[in-house]
Amino acid sequence: MVIDLDRCTGCGACSAACQAENNISFRLDESNKLRSITWMSIFQLNNGRNYPDYRYAFLPRPCMHCDSPHHSPCTFVCPVNATTRDENNGIVTHIYPRCIGCRYCMVACPYHARDFNWWDHTWPKPMEAMLSPDVSTRMRGVVEKCTFCHQRMLAARSKAYKDGTDPDKTTYTPACADACPARAITFGNLRDPHSDVAKLSKDPNAFRILEKLHTDPKVYYISTQDWIKKLSDNALTEKS
Amino acid sequence: MNFGRRAFLQFAAGAVGGSLLSPLPWQLAGDSARWSQNWSWRASPERGEVTKVSSVCTMCEGGCAIQARLVNGNRAILIEGNPANPLTEGGVCALAASGLQFFYAPYRISKPMKQQKSRGDISGFQPISWDEALSELGKKLGKLRADGKSQELAAIISHRPSSMDDLWLQFFTAYGSPNLFRMPSAADGLKLAAKFTTGNAQPFAFALGNAEYILSFGSNLFEGAGASTVALAAMRQWTKGATKLVQVESRCSMTASKADQFLPVNPGKEALLAMGIAHVMVSSGTYDVDFVKNNVFGFEDWTDSAGKKRQGFKGLVSSSAYSPEEVAKATGLDAAQIREVAKEFAGKPKALAVWAIGQPDSTNGIYHQLAFTALNALKGNLKPNGLITLSPSVPLAGLPPVEKNGAAQKEPQGGLYGLLDSITTAKNQPVEILFVHEANPLYSLPENKLFRDALAKVPMLVSFSSYMDETAAQADLILPNHTAFERYDDVLGIPGAAFSYYAVSVPILKPLQDTKHTGEALMTLAAGIGGTVGASLPWKSYEEYLKFRVDGLAQAQKGAVAEKPDVRIVKLAAGQSVQPNFSNGADLWKKLKAGNCWYDAPAAMPDFETPSGKLELAIQSIVQKVASDAADKYYLPHFEDRNLPGNEGDLPLLLVAYRPSFTAAGFYPTPPFMTKLIPDSVLKGADAFIELHPDTAAKLEFSQGELVSLKTTQGEANVRVNISAVAHPGVVYLPTGLGHEAYDNYVQNKGVNANSLMEVQLDPVGIGTVWACRAQLRRV
Repeated sequence: MVIDLDRCTGCGACSAACQAENNISFRLDESNKLRSITWMSIFQLNNGRNYPDYRYAFLPRPCMHCDSPHHSPCTFVCPVNATTRDENNGIVTHIYPRCIGCRYCMVACPYHARDFNWWDHTWPKPMEAMLSPDVSTRMRGVVEKCTFCHQRMLAARSKAYKDGTDPDKTTYTPACADACPARAITFGNLRDPHSDVAKLSKDPNAFRILEKLHTDPKVYYISTQDWIKKLSDNALTEKS
Repeated sequence: MNFGRRAFLQFAAGAVGGSLLSPLPWQLAGDSARWSQNWSWRASPERGEVTKVSSVCTMCEGGCAIQARLVNGNRAILIEGNPANPLTEGGVCALAASGLQFFYAPYRISKPMKQQKSRGDISGFQPISWDEALSELGKKLGKLRADGKSQELAAIISHRPSSMDDLWLQFFTAYGSPNLFRMPSAADGLKLAAKFTTGNAQPFAFALGNAEYILSFGSNLFEGAGASTVALAAMRQWTKGATKLVQVESRCSMTASKADQFLPVNPGKEALLAMGIAHVMVSSGTYDVDFVKNNVFGFEDWTDSAGKKRQGFKGLVSSSAYSPEEVAKATGLDAAQIREVAKEFAGKPKALAVWAIGQPDSTNGIYHQLAFTALNALKGNLKPNGLITLSPSVPLAGLPPVEKNGAAQKEPQGGLYGLLDSITTAKNQPVEILFVHEANPLYSLPENKLFRDALAKVPMLVSFSSYMDETAAQADLILPNHTAFERYDDVLGIPGAAFSYYAVSVPILKPLQDTKHTGEALMTLAAGIGGTVGASLPWKSYEEYLKFRVDGLAQAQKGAVAEKPDVRIVKLAAGQSVQPNFSNGADLWKKLKAGNCWYDAPAAMPDFETPSGKLELAIQSIVQKVASDAADKYYLPHFEDRNLPGNEGDLPLLLVAYRPSFTAAGFYPTPPFMTKLIPDSVLKGADAFIELHPDTAAKLEFSQGELVSLKTTQGEANVRVNISAVAHPGVVYLPTGLGHEAYDNYVQNKGVNANSLMEVQLDPVGIGTVWACRAQLRRV
């Protein structure tokens, strides 16, 4: 995935679309951001300068689906193998019934991409009608996170089977990329050199967050603003 | 046999030990874990066939094409964008993405409600049938009209342009009342400025996609969910590194952060900067001399119709009051900076000054609007093929001519605010029945106390809202409309867009409740009144009415339907040829119903219909609005410094309302999906945060997060302090979209309503301007 921060206006459509697509619950009071469940969080960055040289920007952060060799930080620590990385498509998945809620993966994730269900969530009764049957609702005691809309990938693969085309060559877009009104999010196969996402990831202004931890995230960001790139804590001065 | 105690204990221990080796307890534990996932309160969504319906969102004026995903054809599970639309390319804002939270809102009104107790008592609402409700209301309307009091019917409707506007106007004209008002919007000022300078009463429109240098005076081009779809589409067409955006405002907003240059002016002084730039252009001769000489009236000194000699714009703007040095003092900029910007604006061939885009709820004073217009006039942007045109009309079928019911009463001055004022100050009751449609003035009208006070003198309030919003809660009768995605509706042009745009919104599902399309309610009421009123609304359903309108568009054979996103719609030039790709009304209706939009190239700036036949910088027609012995400057664009009400000693700060990223500030409240995104530096628990510059906070000795009392001439509220460098020193910024007192507890009890604290200044020409008001902060 590549997210163009020059285009992102911080409108939150990506996060709202993600919540609608993935049956994400909500509470009466969402002030405590440590308890809020946002698979796509929107961080607010600023350049730390004083008025009128202050500038701020928003950074949408889904799960990075870290590609570090053998294990992502989270899959490495799960004691029950509830979270694993599918090496065919690179998506780090989470099996809710298997999760025992130890939250070790939350500790391990350097991007704070994982959220925990401290409660059994309920929806206002009429709103139960808008729940998607393609995404399971989570019970209390399990961790959840962005799945790159895994259900959409499965739907695309099923359609490919039915149509007689190669399921491994199908593409799809997650809800966030679909929704963005600034068209800032591009999604696709990073390993396909001809894809938009692969080309954009090679943009001279493309960077990833916390590269020094060697998590090898699959989400790239593009920004022409140096202060944003510096904040990504990318200690590498040139691509190695 | 003697068992003995020891043997018994050994036996018991063995039994326990044995049971630990048995798999049964662990199996039971595992089973209960699995089965408890089926507890009754766990929602289990029903599976089924998934289908898609294409439509258009009507929750704001943006006109985003959407697709709804349905399961089993009877419930909607997602609203997403339609990638075939050339303007939005599949994007939607956070409000549309959360759209189903309004469709399935627990606070929906399911059937007509009549207030049986006292006004405002929610428990007093009793359901009645549609027949009963409409026949009762119809009788009242008939009697009012028969008594010759048609003008005592008034309505407040949404400012979002749609065919409902024309239907309302038709009804009101046939009924005989001139008192049809729209909620205030930035387009009001654009329309007035265009009317005065060009003689055409169509709002100005900006070719944002074709400009290379955009000087934005306070326009919220990219502020979160309120961002303009046109601005976003234009941004995608701008060349990184070549197109330059300069943002002029007091707060370092998102738009300012994205801009290539931010000019931090004191609040309300944007137009003064425009005059300063005009001063530099005129004194250095770097303006479009030919255009001004041949097409502009009032640049040079002029003579009015009474024979009096008056100063022209050139003389006025050349005065030292508008020199860069003087302007710098009042705006807080540097004189050198002002000269630099003027030089750049004058030098770039495709430079455009924009204002009032993406700010649906606030307007700027008319003289300031004229100042921005003047800057564009100097640049030559108002030529037939220029970067500024008028909002194009969509050639839909016009409604049948109406026989007027006697002489229409004189329209009160000052639009909606004028109406509210006349209701409150009149000795009698000028309005007997007030309709409110797709609007929530008790919440979203800036200085909403004016509405509250006027409402106390209106005997009957009828709300057509689908939701128990603040205004509906005060209604005497609620006739709930279908919600946005379950009714036929349309998007009739996009405010500020130079190109022409039309789209039809189709219901994604049959209406969920016993609601009725307000258009159809009007048709029923008209039929009940009968006579010329009934004859003026001859349609039997809203779908029939829209089909009728679309027939006209098909016959006009202009524009085209976009079935693919292959048109760069924001780059269309005025008068560019667009080939129609539809045949007759039925064909066009079919294409529009499939979720495709219709578009056309911008219309070239028409001939000026002013008294002089030219673009008027000296507005000769303004004499009707100001005294005939008014000073020369009142005919010209100039900077009008406002004397804000309130005692400066008591209220030493300035309060400015701003739109944060994740709230909805119009007719729709912030849905739970969006509320979750509001940072805890804007809303925490029940407290909204104001933004204060570090120096201002230090002077007041406030610390981060401290609870303080914010007071204006309108009232007081407790807020928390967020010390932030976005803030201009001495200015308090309060977020909009919070402070609801209706709907449900997911919406209520979150912050304070900026519209309850802001005060509106009324222009001499009668539009309300909301830019700042005096304020005070003190510890609680």
